[in-house]
Amino acid sequence: METFLLLMNGIGTALVPLNLGLLIFGCLIGLFVGAMPGLGSVNGVAILIPITFIVPPTAAIIFLAAVYYGAMYGGAISSIMLGIPGASTAVATVFDGRPLAQKGDAITGLTAAAVGSFVGGTVSVILFTLFAPPLAKVALAFNAPETFALMVMAFATFVGLGGDDIPKTCFSILIGLVLSTIGLDLISGQPRLIFFGIPGFLHGVNFLVLAIGIYGIGEMLWTLESTKGAVQISSIKFTFKDIIQGFRNLKDTVMAMTIGSFLGFFVGILPAAGATPAALMSYGITKQLSKNSKDFGTGVPAGVVAPECANNSASTGSMLPMLTLGIPGSPTTAILLGGMILWGLTPGPLLFTQQPEFVWGLIGSLYIANFFTLILNVALIPAFIMVLRIPFAILAPVIFVLCVTGGYAPTQSIHDVWLMLLFGVVGYVLRKLDYPVAPAVLSIVLGPLAEKAMRQSLIISDGSFNIFFDFSIKPIAATIMYIALVFLFLPLISVMKNKLFPKKT
Amino acid sequence: MNLLKKVAILFVSFSLVAVGTVSAKDFKPKKPIELIIMAGQGGGADEIARLVQGIAEKNDFTSKPLIPINKPGGSGGEALTYVKGKSGDQHTIMITLNSFFTTPQNQTELGIDIIEDYTPLARLLTDTFMVWIKKDGAKTSGINTLDEFLARAKQGDLVMGGTGKMSEDELLLGMMRGMFGFDAKYVPYSGGGAVAKGLIGGESDFTLNNPSEQMGFYQSGDSKALVMMTPKRNPAFPEVPSSYELGYPDLEYYMMRAFVAPADIGAEAQKYYTGVLHDVYMNNEFQKFNIDDGKLLSWIEGYGLSDFFAVEYDKHSEIVAAFN
Repeated sequence: METFLLLMNGIGTALVPLNLGLLIFGCLIGLFVGAMPGLGSVNGVAILIPITFIVPPTAAIIFLAAVYYGAMYGGAISSIMLGIPGASTAVATVFDGRPLAQKGDAITGLTAAAVGSFVGGTVSVILFTLFAPPLAKVALAFNAPETFALMVMAFATFVGLGGDDIPKTCFSILIGLVLSTIGLDLISGQPRLIFFGIPGFLHGVNFLVLAIGIYGIGEMLWTLESTKGAVQISSIKFTFKDIIQGFRNLKDTVMAMTIGSFLGFFVGILPAAGATPAALMSYGITKQLSKNSKDFGTGVPAGVVAPECANNSASTGSMLPMLTLGIPGSPTTAILLGGMILWGLTPGPLLFTQQPEFVWGLIGSLYIANFFTLILNVALIPAFIMVLRIPFAILAPVIFVLCVTGGYAPTQSIHDVWLMLLFGVVGYVLRKLDYPVAPAVLSIVLGPLAEKAMRQSLIISDGSFNIFFDFSIKPIAATIMYIALVFLFLPLISVMKNKLFPKKT
Repeated sequence: MNLLKKVAILFVSFSLVAVGTVSAKDFKPKKPIELIIMAGQGGGADEIARLVQGIAEKNDFTSKPLIPINKPGGSGGEALTYVKGKSGDQHTIMITLNSFFTTPQNQTELGIDIIEDYTPLARLLTDTFMVWIKKDGAKTSGINTLDEFLARAKQGDLVMGGTGKMSEDELLLGMMRGMFGFDAKYVPYSGGGAVAKGLIGGESDFTLNNPSEQMGFYQSGDSKALVMMTPKRNPAFPEVPSSYELGYPDLEYYMMRAFVAPADIGAEAQKYYTGVLHDVYMNNEFQKFNIDDGKLLSWIEGYGLSDFFAVEYDKHSEIVAAFN
């Protein structure tokens, strides 16, 4: 009851004209920032921080959270319409969103993204409202061994779901893992795999550089080859009925929404994970558990819903460790945290009791931001669809420019632009040879997290792997680890079964 | 004739003075200024960089905006190389921390000379370090003083969370090992915030965090501080004893927050940026924020800063050598 009153107060705070105006403005900026490759919520929030000095802290956090939130929606737009991940969090949205658009069903893709984001955002903010303080304790109990077990589970789902060709999937995962080890080694402090001594490799291979290269450039080459520069989809009918149909197409995505919302939130509250791994893991697990997992990657609505649901859910979730522990759960919340400190607030266990107006105003604003972005997105679908009417000969240079800026922005180094173009060509060749590229993208995101967690655990356990498998040492880690092993071996068992006992025809 | 000559000389000398003041005063940035941060987002250097950016922008101290860019790669080696390559560029400044001294020594292949390759601007702050334990830690419960802690640490089974290989806190652990004869397992995390969380989550037994990194947990009573590594107590932590009063004056270590620019930017640009930083330094909001945060305001500029760099560089080469 007390929570309810606090929440109502919070929603009241968010509806104050100044706050509401900033919220709507923030959502719009976020949509734009998210949709533009290379801007992304991190840069958006960082650029806007100085503006927030002129308003009170509550209004400031509402504004920045709205930008963050809007960006989670916006990232899906360019992923679906252009095949370029607009933001790192929307990479998994490309996997099925792009094929949907190419099949002429972009409306379903965009509706799935909007609704998925709304559901994920709403579920997570409810979880946040009800369970924030106890969940903060869960986040504290989730240390290195648990994190590593969770990462193993994520990899296991991806091995399993290559489905048709496990060796090629493993190859792709390993390529990603090798790329993820480039740069500075966290434990020994030594540089690793600095090819030809080029200093640009010191900061490692940014995962957006790989994703934009493979999907943006690779996709562009592929489309140019197949369409010869013509309009991609000749006739796009667009009526109100189509949007209704788009909503209907989502009836099979309940499981994706459930997995995306809860997994997303959970991964989000773990410090230093954030929305990108959440979206990728949610996609993998949904695919693994789906009845028609073979169709994933060819354009199924559930493949869009799962990551979109998860990234919104995780973005709310990652505010929890930021507010209660003072630890950012994602790069964007790291900037938000910097902002809070500048506004004179000390994040930490006492923030909820010392600054209730600030905390609950933020939570209240998330409810309202959710509604507003859903309406905005559905209303703007006709405008987004227009993109597909442009001949590809005109669209391709635009995509190319967006890719180059997107590759340059994260680290501001021209080295990464060349690398991105190289990955584009490699991605195109891999596609021609029928290699799945999604696992490589997954492993470059999760690889560093997994490596760090494993090595931290092994230092603590003096090199003993029991820390991951022994229930008496780390029960949570062991449980997750065994589930992961089941995920890993299930598909192998079914493959072997088919080989040993071929079905009689 | 004589009078005319005098007038002419007077006129010439006046105009010379005028030109002199104009040129010294008149460097103005013509485009946005890159503010390179030789560490990652969310860390201590990042926090100060964004504070400086915010205060400079709010009060219009610079005519063009400051654009913070993080280049954390290679313990700051990437940022050092980048700014070294910008020699003569008047629109780049960099915030440095103690890896400014250690990284060039650990990565000699970078060929960095911290005195020759950079123009010193100013040191604004020094941050200090404290020994932290969890309130009811599994192995440290009941410990309330540094001496009790040292006695326990000599059993050799404690785990320390830190910010990365050869970073300040691991060097400091090396220093303490030499001083007190205990050893601990060092587990690196990414950033001071994650280190603080690891302590409260029970993964590590103690940390050597900066004051601000543990502030939230300290205020809520989840963590305890045993010593502040300075001659005097800090007003933000009035009940934590200083290392001097505990009788360990050698246990003194600071983290600097100083700004440099690329080499050969000219005296005018150096003066301009030093002036901007001084405006920020004198700002009330900046002073209050840092005092509340447990940092020490410690302005030095120009040649004083070069001397400080040289002294610290030598001091760190001793610490690094003792460590290896």
